Amino acid sequence: MTRTTQTGHHHPRLMRHAGSFNPVRIHSMHYQSGRHIRLELEPGRTLYDALVEPLRAIGVTSASTTILGGYFDHLEYCVAPPDPSGNAVIAYSRPIEAGSAFMVFGNATLGKDMQSQPLVHCHATLRTEAGEAKGGHILPQASVIGAVPLTVLVTALEGFELRQAFDEETNIPLLKPYKES
Amino acid sequence: MTSQTSTTKAFGQVVTTETGRMGRVAYARIAPNEDLVQGIEKICLAEGFQNAFVRGGLGSLVDACLGTLDGGYQEIKGPAVEVVSMAGEVRSIEGDTPNASLAGIVADTDGNVYGGPFLAGWNPVCMTFEVTLEEWLPDSPEAT
Repeated sequence: MTRTTQTGHHHPRLMRHAGSFNPVRIHSMHYQSGRHIRLELEPGRTLYDALVEPLRAIGVTSASTTILGGYFDHLEYCVAPPDPSGNAVIAYSRPIEAGSAFMVFGNATLGKDMQSQPLVHCHATLRTEAGEAKGGHILPQASVIGAVPLTVLVTALEGFELRQAFDEETNIPLLKPYKES
Repeated sequence: MTSQTSTTKAFGQVVTTETGRMGRVAYARIAPNEDLVQGIEKICLAEGFQNAFVRGGLGSLVDACLGTLDGGYQEIKGPAVEVVSMAGEVRSIEGDTPNASLAGIVADTDGNVYGGPFLAGWNPVCMTFEVTLEEWLPDSPEAT
């Protein structure tokens, strides 16, 4: 639902989360320079494998990536409506099939999950097989690169790493930067 | 204010090119209820970045407020509204404080998409927001 307003005062609403408030509101880390990589996502592989494996082969396990446009043989995504259970403010929906889709633009973060396995968190805009413009949280293990490689600009993060950890405030696991273990 | 960081010095003196190089890279996670635009400005304050390009950004907003051509705004109701594309930069010009200009595409809870500039102070983060900034270091006047 949207609302278009010409002018006037607006007071954005906040959300009360399930867990305890963390007084640190911004978790940031920096390194003196970035390492840039041009990556081509290999046709026929899942988005997850096509991102993770070539980067792991050159020692990159934490990165911020920009996915330029390209075709997927199959793409699935989900959206984030309110969580009816109340465990968290939102919960991801069931997978939505976009079919043979075109990814217009996407950003993906590469880090490690709570089992220290590679984690890809990807949001993107897409055109579905039905021709609709949609967007959401891409399911990287269920989305398969099409016949033409997709180009990705990778900024490898060095000097620190991204790890998923349970976040007490939101009551879900989230990626945050940590000193390298 | 140097000539390299001026956007408009005076009528007829618009600076259209600025040479420089990329510097440090910062990654940050912005917590819930913090404003997206001001959150990115605060990252620059925390990391000591004067100027930066937004190199990656994904996360969710409670509701999104995007500017419209007539000076108004469009509100996309959540929660959560997912940011699915974003680009922008941060500049420190007036008073040495960072000022972020961000635009992007958001998706509502049905996956429908909307685009425009994110209005500062009106885009509170819902669950988390991940952003990568690359510092932009303009050449000094002596170097050009």
